[in-house]
Amino acid sequence: MHAAGLAAPAGTPRLRKWPSKRRVPVSQPGMADPHQFFDDTSSAPTRGYGGQPSPGGLGYPSPSSSHEAPFLADPMSNMAMAYGSSLAAHGKELVDKNIDRFIPVTKLKYYFAVDTVYVGKKLGLLVFPYLHQDWEVQYQQDTPVAPRFDINAPDLYIPAMAFITYILVAGLALGTQDRFSPDLLGLQASSALAWLTLEVVAILLSLYLVTVNTDLTTIDLVAFLGYKYVGMIGGVLVGLLFGKIGYYLVLGWCCVSIFVFMIRTLRLKILAQAAAEGVPVRGARNQLRMYLTMAVAAAQPLLMYWLTFHLVR
Amino acid sequence: MAFTLYSLLQAALLCVNAIAVLHEERFLKNIGWGTDQGIGGFGEEPGIKSQLMNLVRSVRTVMRVPLIIVNSITIVLLLLFG
Repeated sequence: MHAAGLAAPAGTPRLRKWPSKRRVPVSQPGMADPHQFFDDTSSAPTRGYGGQPSPGGLGYPSPSSSHEAPFLADPMSNMAMAYGSSLAAHGKELVDKNIDRFIPVTKLKYYFAVDTVYVGKKLGLLVFPYLHQDWEVQYQQDTPVAPRFDINAPDLYIPAMAFITYILVAGLALGTQDRFSPDLLGLQASSALAWLTLEVVAILLSLYLVTVNTDLTTIDLVAFLGYKYVGMIGGVLVGLLFGKIGYYLVLGWCCVSIFVFMIRTLRLKILAQAAAEGVPVRGARNQLRMYLTMAVAAAQPLLMYWLTFHLVR
Repeated sequence: MAFTLYSLLQAALLCVNAIAVLHEERFLKNIGWGTDQGIGGFGEEPGIKSQLMNLVRSVRTVMRVPLIIVNSITIVLLLLFG
C-alpha cells in the first residue's frame, strides 16, 4: 500500500501522504486506525478534502474519517447534528437581533474605539489640562469623530479600566492595613457604582429642570464622570507609598485638574454657544447653566475625597 | 461606607412612592403646584417650577401601575428574606 502511495504521480503531492490511510476505511468500514487519534491537519488540509466522499453531506470536513465512518453513517445522528447546528445559528441570529434593544451595542462600540496614543494623551490631559487650547470635539458629517482621532472625544475605556483599577487598589490598601476581607471588595465596588448612578441621575434631573438643549448623552455623562477615578487611583497609590502627606498632595493636584477639566469640557456642552466662547452673556438662563456646570465640576473633588479618604490611614 | 446599590434602589423606590401619594387637592393646590396651575404661555422657556410640576405629574401618571407591581414584589421579598 505504501509503495503504491509513493508511486503516485508527482503532480498530486498531497495525496502521497494519506492514500494508505484513506483507502482503508472505504474497503473495511469497521476498522479504525489505532495510531491516529486526531485528524492530521498539518499539511494542506483544505486541499485534501477534494477526493474524499463526504459522508452525509454535512459540510464538516474531516481529513481522516477512518474512525468516524461508523458514527457518521448513522442517519439519525446526521440529522441530529444538522438540526443542532441550525438551531445554534438561529439562536445566535435571534440574540444578535434583540440585543440592540437592551444594550445599545453599536453606540457603545464608538466609545471603545481607542488606541494607545489616545489613552496616553488623555491621561496626560486629565492630570494637566492647563495648556490644552482647543476643547471642541470634531465632527465628521454630523457624527462625532471616534476617540481614536480626537483627544477631546469622551470614551468609556479609561473610566471602565480606572474603575476596576480603583477597586483593586482599594483592596490593596485595605490589605496593607490588615482590614481586608473579600466581601469588602464587593462593598467598595457597589458603593462606587451607587455614587456614580446617583451623580448621573442628579445631573440628568438638573439638566431637565434647567431645560438645557444639549447633545450630552447619558453615556457621555457616564464617561465624563468616570474620569475622576484616575485621580483617585493616583492619590491612593501615592498615599500607600508616602503616607498621608503624599496622598493629600496628589489628591489635591488631581482634584484641581479634574475641576478645570470638567469645567472646560462641560462648558462647551451645556452653555450656550456664545457663552462658551468666553463672551459673558447676561440672562438668568445662562447664569443658571453656569451654576450647574460649576456644581457638577465641584462635586467631582468632593466625591474623590469621599471615596478614598478611608483607604489611606 | 454602607452606601450600596441595594440601598440606592430602596431609596429610589421610596421616593417614587412618595411622589405617587401626593394628594392633588389637599396638598399640591395649596402650595401652588396643582396640575391646572402655572401653565406658562408659549414661546417662553418654562421655568424650573413648571418643569418640576410637569415632572411630578408625569411620574404620577406613568408610575402608577408599575409601582403597584414593584411594591407587591418588594413586600413579598422583604417578608420572606427580611
